[in-house]
Amino acid sequence: MSRDEVLRKVRERFAASIVEIVDRSPRRVYLEVQSDALVPVATYLFGELGARFNIASGVDTPTHMEILYHFTIEEIDLLVSVRVKLDRDRPSIDTLSGVIKGANWIEREMHELLGIDFRGHPRLKRLLLPDSWPEGVHPLKQDYREWDTTAVRDRGV
Amino acid sequence: MGHNRRARQGGVMGKTVISIGPFHPLQEEPELFTLTVEGEKVVGIDLHLGYNHRGIEKLSESKTFDQSTFVIERICGICSTSHPFAYTRAVEDVIGVEEPERARYIRTIIAEGERIHSHLLWVGLAGHFLGYNTVYMWVWKLREEILDVMEMLSGNRNNYAMFKPGGVRRDIDPDVIPVALRKIDGILPTLDMLRKAILDDPVLHARLKGVGVLTREEAIAWCAVGPTSRASGVARDVRKDSPYAAYDRVPWKMITAQEGDVFAKAVVRIMELYESVAIVKECLKSLPGGPIDLDLKGVPPGEGIGVHEAPRGEVFHYVRSDGTNRPVRHKVRAPSFMNIPTCTSTVVGESISDASIILASVDPCYCCTERLAVRTPEGRRLYTGPDLVRLSQEQTRRLRKEMGL
Amino acid sequence: MKLPKLREVAEAVSALVHRPYTSSFPRVPHVANPKFRGQPKYDPDQCVGCLACEQVCPVEALGHRDEVSGGGGRRVLIHYSDTCIFCGCCEAACIADHRGIRLSTDWDLAFFDRKTESFETIEKELTLCESCGTVIACRDHLRWIAERLGELAFSSPTLYQSRLAALGIVDANIVAALRDQGRSDRMKILCARCRRQATLTTA
Repeated sequence: MSRDEVLRKVRERFAASIVEIVDRSPRRVYLEVQSDALVPVATYLFGELGARFNIASGVDTPTHMEILYHFTIEEIDLLVSVRVKLDRDRPSIDTLSGVIKGANWIEREMHELLGIDFRGHPRLKRLLLPDSWPEGVHPLKQDYREWDTTAVRDRGV
Repeated sequence: MGHNRRARQGGVMGKTVISIGPFHPLQEEPELFTLTVEGEKVVGIDLHLGYNHRGIEKLSESKTFDQSTFVIERICGICSTSHPFAYTRAVEDVIGVEEPERARYIRTIIAEGERIHSHLLWVGLAGHFLGYNTVYMWVWKLREEILDVMEMLSGNRNNYAMFKPGGVRRDIDPDVIPVALRKIDGILPTLDMLRKAILDDPVLHARLKGVGVLTREEAIAWCAVGPTSRASGVARDVRKDSPYAAYDRVPWKMITAQEGDVFAKAVVRIMELYESVAIVKECLKSLPGGPIDLDLKGVPPGEGIGVHEAPRGEVFHYVRSDGTNRPVRHKVRAPSFMNIPTCTSTVVGESISDASIILASVDPCYCCTERLAVRTPEGRRLYTGPDLVRLSQEQTRRLRKEMGL
Repeated sequence: MKLPKLREVAEAVSALVHRPYTSSFPRVPHVANPKFRGQPKYDPDQCVGCLACEQVCPVEALGHRDEVSGGGGRRVLIHYSDTCIFCGCCEAACIADHRGIRLSTDWDLAFFDRKTESFETIEKELTLCESCGTVIACRDHLRWIAERLGELAFSSPTLYQSRLAALGIVDANIVAALRDQGRSDRMKILCARCRRQATLTTA
């Protein structure tokens, strides 16, 4: 299956949900879909096209919250990044961990660092931040401000 | 020894929860595993991370693209050049350029040199966990030769500070090449001896074969990468699937195994050592001339992805730029992030004495087995100290006695 | 007990017979490889005090302090050894042919007193604005720029006076003669703001 075939099939199958396909370079494709279509698209890429789920990266932008799900199709040396745009104030999307076990941890990480809610995740508890970290403070958001006034920030000299 | 008897009397019918970690003076990095055991068998495992979370992604947003390379390098000490490799490739992907020829070869040399010393480190640690402390010492002595070569080439044994977006920072002196080649050739005889000693040993066969099996389906479901998945028959390697740097300019083989157990993982790593040695030698011999740096002046708005096959698997960096000189978003995914959760499949059902070697077999970049504290439900501690390692070493001794050795 | 295999025995015997792999440090001092990246050291004669190293340092291990007193000024350049990561960015960015700050091979840097021993300093003379007294740049930095601009240095009195002073030509007489023309401010060593004011105002 070639790169063009992959794009054609995805386009046919999910025509209603695709917002934009950016053909960045021979090895990179950025595919934007509606947020409710994420799980079907990911299932199709992982199940039928045999792509490997690489990781998901959440980005906080001034207008919206974005998640990019990166899939690698090794046979044709293609990295497909599926972009979903979420509402910035209450970002919420269905979990992918039911379909792909490997997505479990990254959803926990995005939940605590960006405040994204993953509906249906079996165990959305903290992964990286300490237990003493306050609730509702998400470090990777653009409006994050230092909350710990007791932290020492000088050279010590 | 009296403690043991009391433990069995108290908890023989119910489940006991064993926590391993998070801090122990002998380990490099803290991590907390909680094993639920029934008798000698592990029935559940839970992981608690975050003891080493340093906020690197947030920190990278406050550094320039060039400065960020040094922050990224210090994500890990053992695979310290894999992260800058992927990151510089990501920045180059944003701009849409590729490094010059000589820089490709130098990058490959540094990356493969790191793979050699990282795999040797793992072999030594595995030896220690199994009770073969001589293997541990000899392998780490061998590792010194490689570290000396890295010091000659880059100026430091770890944290080589060689990568920058657009190429490499320092050139390789032609006078150094014959010395480096001689040192690398010098490790091959000892490597042969170690390989045969480890792979032919019947005790190791009995100890490691069939232990901690990760099936092919599980490896794909967990999206495992690197030797962890290659040992389960998933023939994937970024250097072959998506060639970059000098990996398609020198001949080498991808190493896979089918069984998915700890022994297979050890075999894959040991055989990869030979391939890495071959790649480094070939690159040093056929190093082309030319510039080592594209001398990039700025990064346009956009996003880019860079990947590299680190010693532990594929490392993935995503960089987004808005045209200023700092990344707006920098996502880092170390290979161990995908590999460590596989322990849910591999450790459950095995015995406690195998737990430490199974957890170590994915070569986690944040370490695993350390303090073993067995608590009764009332909270009284029964074991202290590095008992898990001792249990593992005792199991080896028991096996050896059974086999009449 | 099964006899150990011969090849391991050979290795064990050779390990016994040869001297230990480790050196007898600290009795035998360790000399680092000449390419080893050790402690950065300033060279006060080569450094021009431009602060390029401070700007590129990824970990803010370089800093400075400008001290102005009684008509003269000095810039104290500070390298914080405990913050330094020995990456070599400072040496690579140094405009004085990479010689103002260089990485030595010193690796034995442990100290006891953080308040006094964790940093190294050098001092460079500062050139101050003759009109308002603010810091312009280090004297050597202005000379460095003037040297490289060649004849274009004569577009700015600050630069060419620095150059002429380096050549030992400027003395009180020249400056005194110019002062009497009433446009004396334009012949002074000025900061950018004062120079703009002196050039654009007609008084």
